[in-house]
Order: sequence, then C-alpha cells, then structure tokens
Amino acid sequence: MPQALPNFSSSVKLKYVKLGYQYLVDHILTFLLIPTMVGISVQIILLGPEEMLKIWRSLDIDLVQILCSSFLIILICTLYFMSKPRSVYLVDYACYKPPITYRVSFSTFMEHSRLNLKDNLKSVDFQMRILERSGLGEETCLPPAIHYIPPTPTMEAARGEAEEVIFSAIDSLMQKTGIKVKDIDILIVNCSLFSPTPSLSAMVVNKYKLRSNIKSYNLSGMGCSAGLISMDLARDLLQAHPNSYALVVSTEIITPNYYKGSERAMLLPNCLFRMGGAAILLSNKSRDKHRAKYRLVHVVRTHKGSDDKAYKCVYEQEDSQGKVGINLSKDLMVIAGEALKSNITTIGPLVLPASEQLLFLITLIGRKIFNPKWKPYIPDFKQAFEHFCIHAGGRAVIDELQKNLQLSSEHVEASRMTLHRFGNTSSSSLWYELSYIEAKGRMKKGDRVWQIAFGSGFKCNSAVWKCNRTIKTPTDGPWQDCIDRYPVHIPEIVKL
Amino acid sequence: MFSYCFPLLCLFYNLWKIFDRRRHQNCYILDYECYKPSDDKKLSTRFCGEVIRRNKQLGLNEYKFLLKAIVSSGIGEDTYGPRMVLEGREMSPTLEDAIIEMDDFFLDTIDKLFNKTGISPSEIDVLVVNISMLAIVPSLSSRIIHHYKMREDIKVYNLTGMGCSASPIAINIVQNIFKTQRNVQALIVTSESLSLGWYTGKDRSMILTNCLFRSGGCAILLTNKVALKEKAMFKLKCLVRTHHGAKDESYDCCKQKEDDQGYEGVHLGKNLPKAATRAFVDNLKEIAPKILPVRELLRFTLLTLIRKMTQKYNKTGAAARPVINFKTGIDHFCLHTGGKAVIDAVAQNLNLSEYDIEPARMTLHRFGNTSASSIWYVLAYMQAKKRLKKGNKVFMISFGAGFKCNSCLWEVMRDLDQDGNVWKEFINSYPPKTIDNPFFEKYGWINEEDPDTFHIPDDYVIP
Repeated sequence: MPQALPNFSSSVKLKYVKLGYQYLVDHILTFLLIPTMVGISVQIILLGPEEMLKIWRSLDIDLVQILCSSFLIILICTLYFMSKPRSVYLVDYACYKPPITYRVSFSTFMEHSRLNLKDNLKSVDFQMRILERSGLGEETCLPPAIHYIPPTPTMEAARGEAEEVIFSAIDSLMQKTGIKVKDIDILIVNCSLFSPTPSLSAMVVNKYKLRSNIKSYNLSGMGCSAGLISMDLARDLLQAHPNSYALVVSTEIITPNYYKGSERAMLLPNCLFRMGGAAILLSNKSRDKHRAKYRLVHVVRTHKGSDDKAYKCVYEQEDSQGKVGINLSKDLMVIAGEALKSNITTIGPLVLPASEQLLFLITLIGRKIFNPKWKPYIPDFKQAFEHFCIHAGGRAVIDELQKNLQLSSEHVEASRMTLHRFGNTSSSSLWYELSYIEAKGRMKKGDRVWQIAFGSGFKCNSAVWKCNRTIKTPTDGPWQDCIDRYPVHIPEIVKL
Repeated sequence: MFSYCFPLLCLFYNLWKIFDRRRHQNCYILDYECYKPSDDKKLSTRFCGEVIRRNKQLGLNEYKFLLKAIVSSGIGEDTYGPRMVLEGREMSPTLEDAIIEMDDFFLDTIDKLFNKTGISPSEIDVLVVNISMLAIVPSLSSRIIHHYKMREDIKVYNLTGMGCSASPIAINIVQNIFKTQRNVQALIVTSESLSLGWYTGKDRSMILTNCLFRSGGCAILLTNKVALKEKAMFKLKCLVRTHHGAKDESYDCCKQKEDDQGYEGVHLGKNLPKAATRAFVDNLKEIAPKILPVRELLRFTLLTLIRKMTQKYNKTGAAARPVINFKTGIDHFCLHTGGKAVIDAVAQNLNLSEYDIEPARMTLHRFGNTSASSIWYVLAYMQAKKRLKKGNKVFMISFGAGFKCNSCLWEVMRDLDQDGNVWKEFINSYPPKTIDNPFFEKYGWINEEDPDTFHIPDDYVIP
C-alpha cells in the first residue's frame, strides 16, 4: 500500500474484500468451468431425446471401432499412469521416549556444572543464564554417561546409547505398523556427530538381521536438518525402486560430544541438546495408500555454504586447551533468517494458493516499475498450511520464525512444547512435534504440514506433507502420558 | 479414420516420453582425478620402523609382528602418510590435523578435476562425499561447498562409516538421482582420514590398520546429460550391493572399539578373510547373471547339472567343479587393494592371470591401501598403460566393514589413450622387476633376539 494513505488493513470491510478476492482467485477454474458445463447441458436438453438418437445413429459406429477406441483409451491411460512419479507415503513413525531415570532437572544440571567446572565460576554463571532463558523444562533427558561427574564418554557408552535409542524406536515402529523386517528394502540412518566403523546402519542391519541386498546409507555431519535430507534421499530412491519400504532413522548421539572445556560459546550446545531419536517408515506401495498417515508432497533444500559467515556460524573446533566442542556464533539468528528467505522463495510458488502468488507478483512488479518504496508483500503461509513443525533449535529460533512468518502462538505451540519436554533433540525434533499435534487431536484428513529445519553449513530444508487420514486420539507415542498437562506457559526467564 | 489420429498421437507421445526418459537415465563418468600427495609425505619402510620404535608401549613381540607385516604387505617405499605422522605427532593428533589433511586433498584434486573438464563448480547439482573415519560439524561436504561457492539448491549427501566399499555406495546414490532428474551433473569425492584414527595402543589386531592404510583420494565427475555422451569416459552397466551385517561374525570382524587400556582403534578380526569370501561369493552370485553372456551361463548351468547327475549315479570319483569364466563378460578387473592376501584370494577365486591383477598389485605397491579410493587408482593405472579400449568392460569390486561387498560394471565409451593422470610420471617404471621389500634382510636379525632381554638403545640407527 502507498505510504500516503492511512492503514486500512484493520478495517473490517477490507477484510471481507480480501476474503472474497482470495476465494475468487483460488477457485477461478471452477468459476469458468461451471457456466460452460451448464450451458452445454442446457443445449443438449433443449435438443430433445429423439434428436440425440438421430445424431448417435448417424455416426455409424460398429463394434470393431468401439473395441479399437476403448483399447486405445485404456492403453493411453495405462502409459500415462506408468510415467507419473510414484507417490511416497509415510506409513507411520515412532519417537524414542527416554526412561525417567535419565531425567536432568535444572538443579541436577547446575550441580553437575558447578562440580565439573569448579575453576570457572563465570562459565557456570553463563550456563545458568542460558538455562533460565532456554525454554527447556525439567523433564529433558541425557544419556547415562553424562550423568557421571566428570562425564565418561567412552566409545562403548556411545554405542550403548545409539543401540538403546535406535533399537527402541525401531521396535516400537515395527509393532505399530506390523511389517516384518525382511520387507525393508532401503535403510537410511542419520546421526551427525557419532560415526563408528562399521556404521550405525550396519549396526541396525546386524541387530534386525536385514536382507543382504538391502540398500543402506549412513549420513552424518549434516546437522539438525539431516532428517529432511534423509527424506529427500528416500524419496529419490523410492522413485527408482517400485514397491519398496524405506526405513529412515534420525537421531543424535550426545555421549561423545559433550564439551568438557570451559569456553563459553562452546558450552551452549551442552545446555540445549538432549537425547532423542525417531524411526520413520516410508513406502511407495499402492496398498499403503489407505493406511498411511501422510503423503510427501515436496522437499526443498537450500544450502548457504558459499557465504563465509553462514558457513562458520556452527563450527566444530578445538578450544585453547585442545578440547573439542561446537562453536555457535552470535549472528546465528540473522543467518537463519536469510536461509529461511531463500527457502521460502523456492517453496512459495509450489505451495501458495493462486491468490497469494498473484498479490506477491503484483507487489513485486509494482516495486520494480512504479515505486520502490512499496512495502514487500510477505505471503501469508497460513493459507497454504494448517500445521507448522519448526525445528526446536532453541527459543530464539522459534521466536524469530514466528515473527518472520507471522504465525500465531497456536501454530508454534508444538515446537515450543517439544523444546520444553524433550529439549533440542536435533534431527528428530520435527517428529516429536508432529506427534504432539496428533496427540492433541488436531490432525484431520487433508491437512497440510510444513516441516522446517536448520542445520550446520548453513542449511535450511523444508518438507511438505499432506495428511492422508484423520488421526484419532488417544495416540500412542512419546506424549501419551503427559499430553493432558500441555500446553504449559513457559515464562521468559525461569529464576534458578 | 481421422478420428483415430488424435488417440494414436497420444499413444505415440506417451511411448516416446517413456523411451526418452530411459535415454536420460544413464550414468556416465565424465572424468576422474586421483590424489597424489606431495613428496614430503612419503613413508618408507625405514621411516615406518622409526615410527614403531617411537611408540614406547610396544615390546619385542609387537616389533616382530609389525615389521613382518610391513615387509610382507606388498606395500612399496613411495606410499604417502598423513602429515602429523611425518612431523612426529602421531600420539596426539588434533582436529586441526585432520582438517588440514582433508584440505590438502580437496584443494589439490578437485581443482585439477574442474580444470581438466572445464566445468565450473556452480554447475554441480549433486555432491556426495564419503570419508569414513571423520565426522565433523559442519560436514566436509559443506566445507567443499563453502570453498567452491557452489549453488544454493545443491543436493548434498555426506556418507561416513561405510568403510572401504563406500565408492559403489556413492555411485548408487548418484545413479538413483539420475533416474529421477534430467541433465544433472554430480561430483563424488572419496577419501579416508587417517589422522584421528591413528591407534596409539599395543593391541596387535588394531595396530595393523596403522601399517596398511595410506593417504589417497579421488574426485569423480558424473552426469546423465545426453549431450555430454561424446565426452564421457565410462557408462555404468550395473551395480550390485551385498550386506552381510545380519551375520554376527561378519559384523564383528572389522569393528572400531576401545582396547583394554581405553585407546580407540579399528579391530581386524581373525575371521575377516572368511567373512570377506562369503560376502564376495554372494555378490558374484547376484551380479554374474547380469554381466555374463548367455552362452557362458548356459555352459556353466549344463556342466553343473551334468556333474550333479554323474555324482548321483557314481558316488566315487567326483569330477572337478565347473568354474565360471568371468573373462567372457569382463575385460578388466579393478580389485580393492585391501592387502596382498586379499588380491591373491580374489585372483584365485576368479581364476585371474598375473596380467589381470597387475594393476591392483602395482597400486598396492605404489599407493598402499587408500581405502575407498583404491579402485580408482587401479583404474587410472589401466588407463595410463593404455589398456582401455572402446567397448571394454571394467569390473570394480570392493569390500568394507559391516561386512559389505559392492561391485559394479562399467563400459568404456571411447579409446582412452591420452596421458595425464596420477600415474603419469612413473608409469614407465611399472611393473618393476621385483616388488619384494628391500628391508627384508635388514630386519632378519630381529628373529634372534630374546624377548626378556631385548632393549633398543636410544641411539640406535636403522641401517
């Protein structure tokens, strides 16, 4: 809107005009088609049944011609459906729920911190301030090796954590879906910072005795957005292999990566990252069309690695004493915002309804040709999606995205509650959030979900799912026993 | 009559669409470049002896074992090691060392590859990096994207932990992406990080990896663009992966773990050869029908049936087992240079001559076991020796932890005669008259020493 005029947006009448405009543009094809159809049917009815019979007889069609044309039509239809890309369905997924004995409350965390870093009271203070503002709750979990004072991260302990998280998630998934392990054709495991030889995917193959011609892939180092990268890989693989099941396991193993030094920027991950994992079953079999929960519509990936600042903002390095940790830079939020803008530019045309795209185009043309002072139109993504799953990277990330995308607090509730109950579980957090939405009974058939995740590098990946069937409560999942307590109000600062 | 025009046109259009899609799904190798580290990183046997002596944890038995392993490994005097070993810091490697090791490789090889092919980094659509033993944040693939300023919408995958057989796995990912998208150019970067995996304890099964693995790497440029078919070197015919992780003995035979004193290393079990053979046989069983001509398959089936029937009626005197002749469908063999024993075993199983396994032996001698990239060095040797002619079939096979055996078959698209690859400077001196280690006699004295009184004086100089 030109700056000179007063702001009409709050006026009620304009809201109805906007609604009418949206309805008109979104359904323009229907509006054109219906009058045409009505016109044709009126004409046919006016002709009368005798006229129609006469026209039919004059065509002089015999049996051979009918057979040939129907054969041709069937052949064309088959070829057309054969050449369409196969749909990828999410049959079901399961999230790992840590036992209550692994719980780390604020008091436990601060006490351990004081004992581990006894020579660096400033660092202890720093950790306390971070924890107060983090948005985490009292029930997040850390693996057993980290509960020791000082922590004892051996390779055996790391393997133990991996086995517990991955195997529980897969066991629960097998139980939910009822498929046999022999049926899995593709296996993708992603874990950023723990990569033993043989790989975690080989560990899964060994435990469940999967087939010897399984296609297994082990991705690592790809950060918190690795879950969606695995989805992209699974989708490409399922296009090339008909009639297959793909098992994707997303997790992050905390044990070997706990920072033991006292450099402040590197203590941040210790406060935020917690234990978690998810196992997801994807399929392109037509018989899963009815029992699948979601259908994958789009996956869009954006990589900002070519920019120096973006590349260095999440960086693993050694501190002055040689201890390895992950350094998070101060302009993480700004970079996240930039990456998000790039991602939105690509995903916008794919998902926004025609009305939003038209408005965006008009404002863009207007800015370029008429007056560069026009405010850029931020498309309203609430039109395109019913649910949003924003990676629970930290409170600041969720706040920033809520502001950028103009979302209400109900839209980001799933992300905030997941951060509160489970902490930042890296690549699997999106699945805990989806589970929350289902547990609250908000997922109906036809709903569209947008999953956004950021990761080191700097990457911003998003996936769009469409709900295939209404999901009834109560659901079995990580929120089963506590969903009635949520949502909780998370204060800005929790006084410790 | 005319009423059939429109449906017929639709039919032909759909058929053409399907055929055209198949045409665009082929996987071509445009070019590849192997890494040749700088000469100051050469590890001679003498230097290896020095490194072993430096490790105060080792006693006489370990010395004997290690020197014997090095001397009879088939590895020559010119292989390359990581910088931190040459600088004497192998007991305490840092993350910085690992990153420098990778940077040396990336900046050298990937630059050369881009220059050779004339393709700019912004044209790359897919990047797959596989480096088994190093997983850092941001990933090494992000490091490459950052350095070469690649596009934002690049599809990138960082594989780790997949061992020495990771090359065909990376090719598998690219092959699948080629099936779904058109006009894609992909870059595969494969190498191994030795710095942080260096074992500093004294368990024999774990020190072996220190002796056998060497620095090396390869960058490969692939595409499915039909327009670049004329410039392509190889076309992928088929790829088969076998995973024996379900069997416990196969899974445990090559495992990274801590020893009794808490030092991390890769443990190579005693039943490694057996697990490897089993996986190898399974893989061959699956790939043989796809690559051998029908005539050979029929011959083998008939001979097996005849043998079974004669055995049924004549219990005594078993006839010789019929052996499949792989050379009817394959012209060149690229074997993973896991070690002298591995090459010998594979040669025996496939009935290969000295000429066939010469590339693998020479690669082991000149570059050592460079893990996943070794098969590309073997391929480069064949190319440098001008053995690859148009229409030839090249068979690549590699083994890895897990236990996996992956193989693939390439068809040579044009006569590969021009020089200019990693073997260029010394190809004429290969094969050498002898590949026995020159220190074999020098270290013979060690067999006479008494373990209780053995003590290497600090000023001992290796002859």
